[in-house]
Amino acid sequence: MSAPLLSVTGAVKRFGGVQALRGVDFDLKAGEIHALLGENGAGKSTLMNLLSGVHTPDEGEIRIDGKPVTFSNPREAQAAGIATIFQELDLVPSLDVAANLFLGRELMRPGGLLDVPAMRREASKRLQAIELAIDPARLVADLSIGQRQVVAIVKALSYASRVLIMDEPTAALTVGEVERLFDIMRKLAATGVGIVYISHRLEEVPDIADRVTVMRDGRVAGITEPHAPQAELVRLLVGRPLDELYPGRAKSAGKTLLRLKDASFKLARESAGWQPPSGISLEVRQGEIVGLAGIMGAGRTELLSALYGTGLAGRWQGEVAVDGRPVKLESINAARKAGIAFVTDDRRGSGLMLRMAVGLNLVMSVIRRISPAGLMSARRQAEAVRQSFGQFDIRPKNPDIAVGALSGGNQQKVVLAKEILGNPRLLLLDEPTRGVDVGAKGEIYARLRALAAQGLGILVASSEMPELIGLCDRIVVLRQGRNVAEFNGGVDEHTVLAAANGREA
Amino acid sequence: MRTTQRGSRVLRTALLAGAGLCIAGAAQAADPMVKACAKDGQFVIGFSQANNAEPYRQHVNDELTAAAKEVPGFTLQIADGAGNVNTQTSQVDNFITQKVDLLLISPFEAAPLTPAVKRAMDAGIPVIELDRKTVGDPGKDYTAFIGGDNFKIAEEAGKFTATKLLPDGGEAAVLEGLPSSTPAVERLNGFKEGVKGNAKIQIVAEQAADWVPDKAQTAFAAMLQAHPDIKVLYASNDMMAAGALLAAKGAGKDVKIIGTDGLPGPAGGIEAVAKGDWAATFTYPTGAKEAIEMSKKILLDCATSVDATVTVDTTAITAENAKSMMGK
Amino acid sequence: MSDQKIERTANPAMPSPTAAPAAAQKHRVDPLAIIVRFQSLIGLVLVAIGGVIFSPRRHGEILFLNPDNIANIVRAVSETGIIAIGMTFVIITAGIDLSVGAVLGLSAVVTATMMISGGFGLIPTILAVLAMGVVFGIVQGTISTRFRLEPFIVTLAGLQAARGLALIVSGNQYINISYGDGPGLAPPVFAVLGERLFGNTVPVATIVFIIFAAIATLVLNTTRFGRYVYAVGGNERAARISGVPVSMVKISVYAITGFASALAGIVHAGQFNFGSANDGMGYELTAIAAVVIGGTSLFGGAGSMVGTVAGTIMLGALANILQLNNITPATQLLATAAIIVLAAVLQSLVRRREGLGR
Repeated sequence: MSAPLLSVTGAVKRFGGVQALRGVDFDLKAGEIHALLGENGAGKSTLMNLLSGVHTPDEGEIRIDGKPVTFSNPREAQAAGIATIFQELDLVPSLDVAANLFLGRELMRPGGLLDVPAMRREASKRLQAIELAIDPARLVADLSIGQRQVVAIVKALSYASRVLIMDEPTAALTVGEVERLFDIMRKLAATGVGIVYISHRLEEVPDIADRVTVMRDGRVAGITEPHAPQAELVRLLVGRPLDELYPGRAKSAGKTLLRLKDASFKLARESAGWQPPSGISLEVRQGEIVGLAGIMGAGRTELLSALYGTGLAGRWQGEVAVDGRPVKLESINAARKAGIAFVTDDRRGSGLMLRMAVGLNLVMSVIRRISPAGLMSARRQAEAVRQSFGQFDIRPKNPDIAVGALSGGNQQKVVLAKEILGNPRLLLLDEPTRGVDVGAKGEIYARLRALAAQGLGILVASSEMPELIGLCDRIVVLRQGRNVAEFNGGVDEHTVLAAANGREA
Repeated sequence: MRTTQRGSRVLRTALLAGAGLCIAGAAQAADPMVKACAKDGQFVIGFSQANNAEPYRQHVNDELTAAAKEVPGFTLQIADGAGNVNTQTSQVDNFITQKVDLLLISPFEAAPLTPAVKRAMDAGIPVIELDRKTVGDPGKDYTAFIGGDNFKIAEEAGKFTATKLLPDGGEAAVLEGLPSSTPAVERLNGFKEGVKGNAKIQIVAEQAADWVPDKAQTAFAAMLQAHPDIKVLYASNDMMAAGALLAAKGAGKDVKIIGTDGLPGPAGGIEAVAKGDWAATFTYPTGAKEAIEMSKKILLDCATSVDATVTVDTTAITAENAKSMMGK
Repeated sequence: MSDQKIERTANPAMPSPTAAPAAAQKHRVDPLAIIVRFQSLIGLVLVAIGGVIFSPRRHGEILFLNPDNIANIVRAVSETGIIAIGMTFVIITAGIDLSVGAVLGLSAVVTATMMISGGFGLIPTILAVLAMGVVFGIVQGTISTRFRLEPFIVTLAGLQAARGLALIVSGNQYINISYGDGPGLAPPVFAVLGERLFGNTVPVATIVFIIFAAIATLVLNTTRFGRYVYAVGGNERAARISGVPVSMVKISVYAITGFASALAGIVHAGQFNFGSANDGMGYELTAIAAVVIGGTSLFGGAGSMVGTVAGTIMLGALANILQLNNITPATQLLATAAIIVLAAVLQSLVRRREGLGR
C-alpha cells in the first residue's frame, strides 16, 4: 500500500506551560475529504497550524508522500503543496476578483504595466474550471460570502494544489451556498486533491466527509465513519454521552407577549434580493421559544432588527402589539422600553466591546440601573457581574480580562448574559449559537429554556435547522419577508425546508 | 567658545579676585551692572529666539554666534521658542533657573513675554532685547533694546514708493505677514503711512501671506488677476517678495517689487535687487554685533550703564548700491 | 474571531472549559499590558531619573529639581495639558479633535476683546468664552454625527473656522490686555492666571490644570457618562444596541474638548496678557501626542486620564532637561518622535497578545 498523501505522527506542541497537542496521529489520502472535529481548545486549530506552517511541532513529524518535511513558515508549506483557507478569508474587498487572485503575483506587460485583461481572462478560466460563473471584474466586496469562499479556494489552489485545509468554511454560508461549496469540494477531491475539512457542524459531516477524526484535549479521541450516529460523534467530542443537547419543551405558554398582524416595514438600506414584507403575522407568548426559519434573504434578521427598532425607514405598518397594547417600535429606545432585548448574529461586530473587560461588557445594557444619579456604583456593578457569572458558566471565571480573548462560546454567553441582566420580557436572538462549540451550545439551550420557564418570551432566528427543531416550541417559516408556514417543535427537517423553499413537502 | 557650563563656573570662581579688583576700581562711580563682571571672566549668555524656522531669525542666530565666537569668555546658548509664546516663556524661565549671566531675547510677541523678562530682571540678569520689544521702557523694565524699527523701515519703503517708483501715482499692493503678529501689523501700517505723501497712489489690494513664499505667490497671482494695473508690490519680507516675483513672471507683468529684511546670500533680497528682479529691499538689521558689543561692556568692562535704546538704521538696497552691498 | 485564532493567541493562558482543571482558573495578567497601562507614569519616572542624572548642577544643587524649575515645567504644560484632558474623552470614543488649538486662539482673542473693547467684567467674560467653546464643540459633534462625517474632517474644518473667526473678532490685530479700573482695561484679578501662589511656588495655570484633571478623572471613571464614553469607543454598534445614547455621547465629548480649549484660551490670555488669532498653533498635535503616550488608544475604548496627565508632564520634563543641557530643538523633536512611536508599538503589541490586532 502506498504512503498517504499527508501524514502526521506523534505531534506534540506546547505553548508555555500548556500542552495544545499531546501526541497526535493524523493522515490524509489523495482524493479524500477528511473532517476534523473538535471543540474549542481541543487542538484542531493547532494541528492545522502545524500543517500550514504557522507553527512547528515540538515533537513528531509531518510526511508528504512518505517523505519527512519541515515547514518554518506558511510559504514553505505552500511550496510543498499545502494550501490553507482561514476563516477570515485573505481577500481584499476593495479589489476585484482577478486582482485578488493575482495579488502579489500580478501578470505584467513589458514596461511594468499591469496586464489586466490577461489576469481577468486567466481568472475567468480558473473560476470556470470549478464551474463558477463569477465576473472576474467584480469587486470582492460585492460578492456574497459563499462566492468569496469560492474565490478564496481558487486563490489557495493557485498557490498549492495537493492538500487543501479549510477552517470552518460553512460558518457564514446559507444552506444553498453550503450545497454549492460541497459540490466544488467533491469535484476537487475527484481530481486527487486531499481536503481537510474543519467544522463545528456535526450535521454536515455525513454529507461531505469520507472519514472523520475527532479531537479532544490535544489528542485524537477517535476516527470514525462519517455515517456514525450523531450521538457517537458528540460522545467523542465532549468525552461523555450527551443525552440531551436540547432541553424539553414548554409545559404551558402564558399570555401573548408579542403580536404582529399583517405587519410590514421598510428597511433604510435594502439588501440584495430582499423584498419588503407585505404582511407578517405571528405571536410569541410568555414562556415560549418561537423559531424563525427561512432561507437566506427570507427576512429573518431583518424582522428581528426591525422589531428592535433598527435599520428601519419610516414606521411599522399594520398591527404591532406588546402585552396587548399597540407599540411603535421605531427606535431602540422604544423597543427597550417595551421590554425587548436583542442579541445580534454578529457578536464581534455589534455585540461586544472586544478590548474591554468581560465585566464591563456584562453591565453595558444596565448602566442606567447601576449608576444612580449618574454615578457608577461599584457595588451594584459587582452584583450584576456576579449574577451573570451565576447564570452562565463563563470561562475563565475572571470578569477583568478582555472579552475578545474568550472563546466563541464564552463570548456568546457574555452577550446573552448581558441582555438577560436587563430583565427583558421578550428576547430576540439571531443565530444564538453561531461559531459555538457543542458543550456551550447545550448550556445555552438549557439556559434559554430555564428563562422561558420563568415567563420570558423568546424569538430565535437560526439557519441551523436541527437547532430550531430541537429547541423551539413552534417554528414560523418566513419566505420573501412573509410568514408562510408554522410548525410545532419536533417537526422533521424536510418539511420545514420544503416550506422555506416554497415547495410541497 | 563652547566651554561647558560647569567649567565656566569653576573658572569664574577662580577669577573672582580679579572681579573684586574691578569693582574696587569702579567704586567711586556707580556700581557695575553685573557684580561678577570681569575682564577675563567666563560668561554664559542665553539667547531666547522667537522662531528658528524663519530665515531671517536663522540669519540673526548666525550673526550672533559669529560675534560671540570672537569673545573668548562668552558661551552662547540659543533656545528656539518655535513661534510659541508659551514655549518661549518656559525657555526664559529655564535660563533664569540656570542663572545665565545675561539674557538676549527676541520675543515672539510683546505682551506675553513681558512677565518672563521681568522675572529675569528681578533675578538680577541683564536683559537685552533684540529686534522686538516687550512692554515697558528700556533701561527700566529691561536693560536695553537693540534693533530696527519696523514701522520706520516700512515707512521708508512707502516714501521710496511715493517719490521714486510712482511719482505720478498708480496702483500699489501689499503682502502682509502673519496677520495680527506685531511686525506684520507695524510693517503694514508703516508702509501705508509712507505712501500717504503721494495722494495719487492707491493701495488696491492687501493680503496676508504669513511670511511664506508659496502663499505670497498664490495671493499675488490672484491680486494681479483682479487688478492688472498694479505697478508696485510691497512685501513685508524678502521671502514673500520672492514668491510675488514668481507670480508676476507667471502673469507676464512687470511689477516693481519691494522686499524687506535684505537678507544676504543667494536666496536673499540683496542679490535679487542686484539682478534687477526687484526694485528694492530695505534691510532689517539684526543688531547682533551691537548686542555682543553691549554684552562685552556689561560683562567684561563692568559698565555702570549702557544706552537704553540702540536703533540700527535700515539701509535701502536699490539698483544703485545692491552690487556693492553683496557679500557684506 | 476564528477558532484558529483563539487557539493560537490565547490558548496558552486560557485552557478550554473541558480541558481546564478547576484549579487552573487563576488568570495570569500579561506584564506587557501592565506596562502599557502605566506607560506614561513609567516614562515620567524614567525622564525624571534621567533629569536628575543629566541635570546641570550649581554649587552641588541639581538644577532639574530646583523648585523654580519644576514650577517652570508644570506651568509650561498646563495649557496643552488642559486640552489633552479634553482630547482624552474624544480619543476614547475613537474620535479626534483637530480644532482645539484654533479654539484656544479664538477663546484668547474673545477673552481679550470682551474685557478690553467690550468692557465686560471678569465673570461674564469667562462664562461667555466657556459657553462659546462648548457651543463650538456641540456644532462640530452634531455635524459629525448627523451627517456621519469623519470627525477628522469636521474638526479640520473647525480648525480653519476658529482661526478665521479669531481673525475677524480681532480685526487682524493682536489685543494686549492692560489692567486697571476703567474702560479699556481688564480687571486686575485676571492677571492672577500668570502668577504663582503659595509663597510664589505653584503657578496658577497649573492649579487650573490639576483641578480640571481631577474633575475629568472623576467624570471618566465614576459616572454613567464616563462609562458611555468607553462603550462608544469600544464598539459603537454594540453600544447603540445596548441602548447607549451614542449620538449624545459623541456630541458631548466634542463639547468637552470645546470647553477645555476655551478654558486653555482663558488661561493663555491671563498668563500672557494677550490675545492673538495665532495663539495655540500646533497645540492639537502636542495634545494628541500626550494622550497617545498616556496609553489611550486611537482605536478607542481604552485609555486613562492619569496616563494623559503623566504623558503631558513627561513631554514637558523632557523638553526642560534637554534645554537645560543646551541640546538643540532638533534633538527634542526626535526624542518626542521616538517616544510616540515607542508608546504606539507597546499598545500594538498588547493588542496582538490579546488576539485582537491585525
